[in-house]
Amino acid sequence: MPRPQTLPARPVATRATRGLWGDALRRLLRNGPALVGLFFIAVFVAAAVLAPVIAPFDPLAGKLVDRLQPPNAVHLLGTDLQGRDELSRILYGAQVSLVVGVVSVLMALGMGGVVGAAAGAAGGRLDNVLMRVVDVLLAIPGILLAIGIVAWLDRGLPQIMLAVAATNAPIFARLLRASLLANRDVDYVTAARSIGASKMRILLRHMLPNSLTSLIVAATLALATAIIDVAGLGFLGLGPPDPRTAEWGTMLTDATQFLRQAPYLIFFPGVAIVISAIGFNLLGDGLRESLDPRLRR
Amino acid sequence: MALLSVEDLVVHFRTHEGTIYAVNGVSFALDEGERLGLVGESGCGKSVTNLAIIGLLPKPAGRIEAGRVVFDGQDLTRLSESDLREIRGRDVAMIFQDPMTSLNPVLTIEEQMVETIQAHRRVSRADARTRAVELLTMVGIPDPAERLRSFPHQFSGGMRQRVMIAMALALKPKLLIADEPTTALDVTIQAQVLELIRDLTTGGGTTLILITHDLGVVAGLTQRINVMYAGYIVETATTTELFGRPSHPYTVGLLHSIPRLDEGAPEELIPIEGRPPDMRHAPVGCPFAPRCAWRIDECWVVNPPIRPLVAGTPVVATGPAATHRIACHHPPTAAEAVVGRPLVPGWVPAPPPAGRLDELSAASGGSPVDGPEARS
Amino acid sequence: MGRYIIRRIIAAIPVLFGLSIVLFAFIHLLPGDPAAALLGQHATPELTAKIRTQLGLDKPLYEQYLLYLGQVLHGDFGRSVINNRPVLSEFAIRFPGTVELTLGALLFAVGLGIPLGRFGARHVQRLGDGMVTVVSLLGVSIPIFVLGLTLQYIFAVQLKVLPTSGILDPRIDIPAVTHFILIDTLLVGNWGAFVDALRHLILPAIALGSIPLAIITRITRAAVLDVSNEDYVRTARAKGLTERRVDDRHIMRNAWLPVVTVIGLQIGGLLAGAVITETVFSWNGVGRWTVEAIQDHDYFVVQSTILIFALIFLVVNLIVDIGYAFLNPRIRY
Repeated sequence: MPRPQTLPARPVATRATRGLWGDALRRLLRNGPALVGLFFIAVFVAAAVLAPVIAPFDPLAGKLVDRLQPPNAVHLLGTDLQGRDELSRILYGAQVSLVVGVVSVLMALGMGGVVGAAAGAAGGRLDNVLMRVVDVLLAIPGILLAIGIVAWLDRGLPQIMLAVAATNAPIFARLLRASLLANRDVDYVTAARSIGASKMRILLRHMLPNSLTSLIVAATLALATAIIDVAGLGFLGLGPPDPRTAEWGTMLTDATQFLRQAPYLIFFPGVAIVISAIGFNLLGDGLRESLDPRLRR
Repeated sequence: MALLSVEDLVVHFRTHEGTIYAVNGVSFALDEGERLGLVGESGCGKSVTNLAIIGLLPKPAGRIEAGRVVFDGQDLTRLSESDLREIRGRDVAMIFQDPMTSLNPVLTIEEQMVETIQAHRRVSRADARTRAVELLTMVGIPDPAERLRSFPHQFSGGMRQRVMIAMALALKPKLLIADEPTTALDVTIQAQVLELIRDLTTGGGTTLILITHDLGVVAGLTQRINVMYAGYIVETATTTELFGRPSHPYTVGLLHSIPRLDEGAPEELIPIEGRPPDMRHAPVGCPFAPRCAWRIDECWVVNPPIRPLVAGTPVVATGPAATHRIACHHPPTAAEAVVGRPLVPGWVPAPPPAGRLDELSAASGGSPVDGPEARS
Repeated sequence: MGRYIIRRIIAAIPVLFGLSIVLFAFIHLLPGDPAAALLGQHATPELTAKIRTQLGLDKPLYEQYLLYLGQVLHGDFGRSVINNRPVLSEFAIRFPGTVELTLGALLFAVGLGIPLGRFGARHVQRLGDGMVTVVSLLGVSIPIFVLGLTLQYIFAVQLKVLPTSGILDPRIDIPAVTHFILIDTLLVGNWGAFVDALRHLILPAIALGSIPLAIITRITRAAVLDVSNEDYVRTARAKGLTERRVDDRHIMRNAWLPVVTVIGLQIGGLLAGAVITETVFSWNGVGRWTVEAIQDHDYFVVQSTILIFALIFLVVNLIVDIGYAFLNPRIRY
């Protein structure tokens, strides 16, 4: 005779979240391109962190006698127009890119996230006003906004961080708001509300964790563009105020004059930027695939 | 001579996680003008069988691994794509489950109907248009000339399904395959659409395969029924025979899980325990065994072939005298079929052999969240 | 449909308003003393006083804003502090160069991107698709200036088949009529110069178009794949239509929608990218002018570029929205 089964009373939402991360990690580690991306990122971060230890020379010091040497036994990547060791400058350049990149994305997450969450959670007029502000920022295309901010505030690392953050913040604002709006009417939120959970609790325990996944993906991809944008600003002469600083974009500006004689001066910083960007792009794509709950098997 | 003969059809899907054994040796035949029902739950392989017939399995995952499909004397599995294309729409037409998504949203109804006609007949656009108006009238769409210029989203679900039927019958195909045509519609509209299908197919002598999971739908419309489970046909009989003397435990279970108004005292509804099998594993033994109340030891080991219900009866595959056949080692008696459970006192269904205990526990429930993870 | 257009235009007004405030702040609220910052090293007491009255810097803010609005609407975008010429007329001279570059890049990105995306979708999970995905990845990961310099090195320095920079061989003299170099060369009938101008356009257009190329390829591929799995495509095949017909009328007609939207959005990125591309290739356009202006602290120039580029972007977005509604009957009716 068939026996009726009783099911344990477990809220599906919480269980799904815990299972999601473990699942996602497993899937990520099986994703070939994502692993390549992680490897590139590891190289990038290692270069930045270990620069003081492994850089053979002082990146700021150079003797004019040594200028413009192609890669050789002493200077593995050659020397630049001031005689400075290119390898050391690349390694220290990773520091600038990493720090500025990470800080600006965190700032963008903070600024954009707060605005987006406020707009999504509050709705109504506040939502309208905040989104119009975001629209204005989005109307000024990409690097032009960053250039504008640096021009306005003058050069300096904090200004660069703010400028790059400003280009990415609207994206996070929109993302968070859309995510909150989509989750607002979902069944488990209604269920939580019906048992009397407070609005704040609903926001924190139920809605945010689900928005988290798209944020993580967006933030990773934003890191890639941040690194490129920072270098871009450097290339245009809007980089760190001290002209001797080893920054990949600024190194490229210097190298432009010597395109014919010293093409390697363009190759190495260029490759450094590209590898870092590829790393975060691959990881971001991999995360997107492994974190998509609909693809769970 | 049978119009359609499906012989030992096997279809597999290759996916990231391995093979899905969707259809495992299905055979049936259809005479011209017959109306056959293919019944089973989601995932039993009924839709896949029909996609395989017209060669529309999703590529590259789906493949016909073995078997033949003989239509009008030709083996469809051996035909080139361009030959198949000629047959599709002209000789074999298909209507699908969800009318909301089965029509191209950016083309007008006229464009979609005219292209069907012009794909197979050399007619002018004006002539095709006239024919389209005729067809829309035939399926009962008011103001057809006007509505030709509308877009699909401007129609209701029931109307859209009528348009699909009109498009399918445009070229007077010999065989119409209707895959769950009414599942996505409201109950009242369902009845109308089914009646339309019946009138048009019987009136035109069109052969019909009706696929559904709803026994009520096939009852009024078909002459014969194949019951499918886990990619096998487990029972086949004329409609009256099937409802009168359901014999496979699955069929018995199906009939007893539907409330019926025509029975005297309300009886208890007996749900079939468990869940459909995981099609990712090649089946061992009878696929229904984990859920079957009549199982014996042999059921776990040997997959029963489909045989006449009354042993020794000669097999008639098609027509009103078709033999009632089932694939079962230990079918319920007539009395047990009426009641819906075994009547032998002290009867216990055979336990699974060692190593397959988990199939039983998964099949008999447990929290849905636990299920698949526990099994893997 | 008309109502939809009007609604979209009305929705754009607050953004325009906000934009004008932001740009107002750019000059009138420069940190420190705006007048001194504007003049930089050219500051003399008389000039500083003159700037002050011109901008109304001693008046209350809202008056300054109204004064600013009035000036902008009259086409007065200030004067360059370098040569004291009106910014708007200087902009007008250089803008056609940027337009040519942007259009060239767009042509490259769309002309190559859509076929590539379709190809990738058709060969999904096989080698062809893998290559397309790699191209897409490289497009977004290689910055314009790196790509530009690399292209210069390979094609101009090593292979010597294309010029390094500039818009035209400096030895050729073409009178500037429209300031569109391609048009001007044709106007004087100088076919050789026209070809030369095209040769100068190739490398910068490729460099600038690389990112839109990557994105358009990706979106097209995704759109075609998505649509290919839709039920109505299965219906179309079940009707016995040829694969070609299914592809054109059923798949592409529906896949166009997201692709067109993305193309519109790329225009903004192209305008922004032009700034860098023009710098790398010494291209005579607004972008390079703006970069120089920043170094010279010529704020009116920078402000005008931002304003006009943002306006163009907004208008393009509006056109894309309306175009989308036009293409998608579900919104139209």
